[in-house]
Amino acid sequence: MSASTGSLGGQLALAWRFSLREMRGGLRGFRVFLACIAIGVAAIGAVNGVARSITTAIETEGASILGGDIRFELNQRQATAEELGYLNSLGRISATSGLRSMALRSDETDQALVELKAVDGAWPLYGAVTTEPQMPVADIVSGSGKLFGGMAPQTLFDRLSLKIGDRLKLGDIEIELRSVLVTEPDAASDGFGFAPRLLISKQALKATGLIQPGSLVEYGYKIALPAGTDAKALRLAAEEKFPQAGFGIRTRDNASPALSSNIERFSQFLTLVGLSALAVGGVGVANAVRAYLDTKRGVIATLKCLGGSGRFIFTVYMVQILILGLLGIAIGLAFAAIAPTVAAAFLSGVLPIALNQTFFVQPLVLAAVFGLLSVLLFAVLPLGRARDVPATALFRGEFTRDITNTRWPYLAAAVIFGAIIAGLAIFTSEDRNIAISFLAGLVLAFLVLRLVATGLAYLAKRAPHAKNVSLRLAVGNIHRPGALTPSVVLSLGLGLTLLASIALIDGSLRSQISGDLPERAPNFFFVDIRSSDVKAFTQTVGELAPQGKLQTVPMLRGRITKINNVEPNAENVPASGRWVLRGDRGITYAETLPENSSLSAGQWWASGYNGKPLVSFSAEEAGELGLKLGDLITVNVLGRDITAEISNLRKVEWGTLGINFVMVFSPNTFAGAPHSWMATLADKTATNSDESKVLNTLAKTYPNITTVRVKDALDVVNRVVGQLGTAIRVAAGVALIASVLVLAGALAAGNRARTRDAVVLKTLGATRRTLMTAYAMEYGMIGLATAIFALAAGYGAAWFVIERIMAMEAKFDPATVALTIIIALVVTVGFGLAGTWRVLGQRAAPALREG
Amino acid sequence: MNIQTPIEPATSVIDLNEIHITLGNGASEVHVLKGLSLNIAKGQSAGIVGPSGSGKSTLLMVMAGLERVDQGTVIIAGTTLNGLTEDQIAAFRGRNIGIVFQSFHLIPNMTALENVAVPMELAGDPLAFTKAEAELIAVGLGHRLSHYPGELSGGEQQRVAMARALAPNPAILIADEPTGNLDSTTGKQIADLLFAKQIERGMTLVLVTHDRDLAARCQRQIAIRAGEIDEANSTLVAI
Repeated sequence: MSASTGSLGGQLALAWRFSLREMRGGLRGFRVFLACIAIGVAAIGAVNGVARSITTAIETEGASILGGDIRFELNQRQATAEELGYLNSLGRISATSGLRSMALRSDETDQALVELKAVDGAWPLYGAVTTEPQMPVADIVSGSGKLFGGMAPQTLFDRLSLKIGDRLKLGDIEIELRSVLVTEPDAASDGFGFAPRLLISKQALKATGLIQPGSLVEYGYKIALPAGTDAKALRLAAEEKFPQAGFGIRTRDNASPALSSNIERFSQFLTLVGLSALAVGGVGVANAVRAYLDTKRGVIATLKCLGGSGRFIFTVYMVQILILGLLGIAIGLAFAAIAPTVAAAFLSGVLPIALNQTFFVQPLVLAAVFGLLSVLLFAVLPLGRARDVPATALFRGEFTRDITNTRWPYLAAAVIFGAIIAGLAIFTSEDRNIAISFLAGLVLAFLVLRLVATGLAYLAKRAPHAKNVSLRLAVGNIHRPGALTPSVVLSLGLGLTLLASIALIDGSLRSQISGDLPERAPNFFFVDIRSSDVKAFTQTVGELAPQGKLQTVPMLRGRITKINNVEPNAENVPASGRWVLRGDRGITYAETLPENSSLSAGQWWASGYNGKPLVSFSAEEAGELGLKLGDLITVNVLGRDITAEISNLRKVEWGTLGINFVMVFSPNTFAGAPHSWMATLADKTATNSDESKVLNTLAKTYPNITTVRVKDALDVVNRVVGQLGTAIRVAAGVALIASVLVLAGALAAGNRARTRDAVVLKTLGATRRTLMTAYAMEYGMIGLATAIFALAAGYGAAWFVIERIMAMEAKFDPATVALTIIIALVVTVGFGLAGTWRVLGQRAAPALREG
Repeated sequence: MNIQTPIEPATSVIDLNEIHITLGNGASEVHVLKGLSLNIAKGQSAGIVGPSGSGKSTLLMVMAGLERVDQGTVIIAGTTLNGLTEDQIAAFRGRNIGIVFQSFHLIPNMTALENVAVPMELAGDPLAFTKAEAELIAVGLGHRLSHYPGELSGGEQQRVAMARALAPNPAILIADEPTGNLDSTTGKQIADLLFAKQIERGMTLVLVTHDRDLAARCQRQIAIRAGEIDEANSTLVAI
């Protein structure tokens, strides 16, 4: 038995030896291959590495971020004496209070929304507070009577043109700003704020008079536990001891679940974008492998003549491709490995925590596995065909004949590698439905791009005979055997589709936020309106904005503790619906169906209804939680469990930014419960100066009412969306770079093949100008067809994301359309002609002699 | 399946019986070999001649197991090739048939020594490099062992190709226009070497050539015309 068909070990050893000999020719022709793999691996590794550095920072700095080893949260009420006794018994405690409020300059000329945080003398239990100038916290926040100290970040100083020593009016007191708050250790666990922090003492908060029954205050009890205490066990014990308290309990190993979850989701999305970069690069891998094997047909045929089996030939070239693939992966991993360090510098001002800059192995392994599988997926088919290069080619010189049939084991292997990639992408995803949709879209795009290329060639073949020579040559080039059409369409199509869809999503989001959303949204939100102030407040607003429409609703906070008397398990709910079960949500009661919603099932309760508690549930969220009419919902409000039956479902238009609630209860449910009100003011005719007047007057008249100007809030959202959009665009840019590289490689390979054509045409009298015009027309037509497909597919994907996932209205942005077409034409015609120019400069004699 | 059937002495080592081959499809379909039968004895040298497109190279490929016949039987060195898989034929070829091409077809990234060792390495011969070195010395290229094909002259490349074909000591040596790419002096040197080695090792030599002088040096000339043996222009030598 020969070595080439012998044992696997023997065959591999021999194949390894032959591969190394074959690679003595160098890596020429593999630059695009290496770049494609390196870019894809770097993108995936970097995204996951940065995400891991953020989440591990949250984990390792858990106690500091949380402000304690364990943290108990209560909304709208403080701990009872019994609860406080229990909490004090656990360890060293620090109590904080958080709420939003309005702060006025002492001369009452300007005001700003602030995220107020009141701390006690024990704060912070962990981590360090950095201030400028550096002073002890106790000295900064000390005070008495109507004057206390405080600190705020530079943004608030800038916003209200303040300096150290200036004072702010806050409720009934004044706060002297004694220091700039630079680092607040437990800021991340409080979530991202819409407004700058204002940090004061608990005594000061009490003196402000801002806290009233029903005020939206979050009370935090952060505890440093004795060493060796099991925080998780303690959490379970506390939940068991106070089942009705409504404590939100977090431990240091899960200090900021919202931030962790957001980072994981975002990194998952970017990983998918990175994966499409790898898929685009995969086309380059396939092109490079095919081109390389084309140059090796003589060697393959010779090896067959000398006794080499098909399997041996496959192994020899697979070993070479794997060696090159591993080299590309190593280059990609080198970039990915330094990504957390680079990101730490860029994200230091964006994230409320310092990133962990260590070396993360798992994301790199994941990226390497994706890279390796992509190499295998895209190389196995050309390699499988290479074994069928006929040895007879040596006698007949048929080295250029295409081998179109692929043996089934190689097709099966490609399907298996593709399935493993898809499985891995789905398995490692936070939201598997999105991953599945994304991958399905990618596969569909691949298939449709093949169809586009075939359709374009078909149309070119059926096109009427053009009189213009260049046009005739161009149309002929599109459909002739060995045409560049399929490789150009496939190479550029995927990257361009991704870019178009992301640009359209980004454009739609931006137009919602900065376009017509402000038109549809109210001008102001008001929260923490005391029940006793509602009447007077309504009258004041009526005087300030006679054209405005004021809507007031009662506002309570509660969290779902049971569904049909069973504790809900968020794991069983789709990721998009988990937020409803997460912590306290705003709830209300209403006599009639609220605006911006319509009944989709069941009946609204009668006026003056006084039977068992009923609740109206948002239809979309009910669907995600698997709820139906007649189900029982138990909510914990102010420490009390209240169970209501779902009597109807409402379709809620969340996008209008009006007042909307997932749950609206029948008024009798909360009869007598203390609560505040919230309101919106919509005044389409209001100018900036009118809004400032409303803001200023209300801040002075009702210092306890928090006013949020929608324009300011949208600016914050716009900024966040802008930052996320930049990250997404960078990822999409990586895919486009891979696309352009692949395209350049495909065009270079095509140009090698058409050198002889150009030479023959020149000898037959074609001028350089005729040929350049023909090539420009050819590349232009292919580029335009690709751009049209990319726009159609990109718009389809964007529409799905915007309308179905984000439940917003998709917009078709003309600028994106123009940009996509311009990129496609510039890239195809530019790269194509750059290579063709060299082709046209070739001397005729050598090419003709070869022919 | 045993593909190592021992060769019977004084019997035909190439036995083609009523073979037909049609190449191409549709309009380009060509009936290349039309019921051709041919026996070539062990140790005999045979020159196949004929005009372009007559089917000479296809006949050579059939003998090398590179082209499958549509009809008829092909028995080479005592083994019927018709039923073998492609990989079995490749292994059989590596052991029993040496091939010399007009364009040499050396592997560019391998040295002369490595090129010659390839068929023996593929056959799992642990002495592949020792035998390859001896073979290169025998064809007068002992001083060119570590040279790459690009560093050798045309004549030297063809010597390397001959060494590669001879090294596994095959029963049959097939040569396709072995002097076609060489000048006349070098071509004569290569032809001298080819026949010397054939006689020295008692191999069967089958060569295709347009060169009447080269064909005339063979014990037997087989003329092919339009896919059939042109009996009138063939010389038959008794086994």
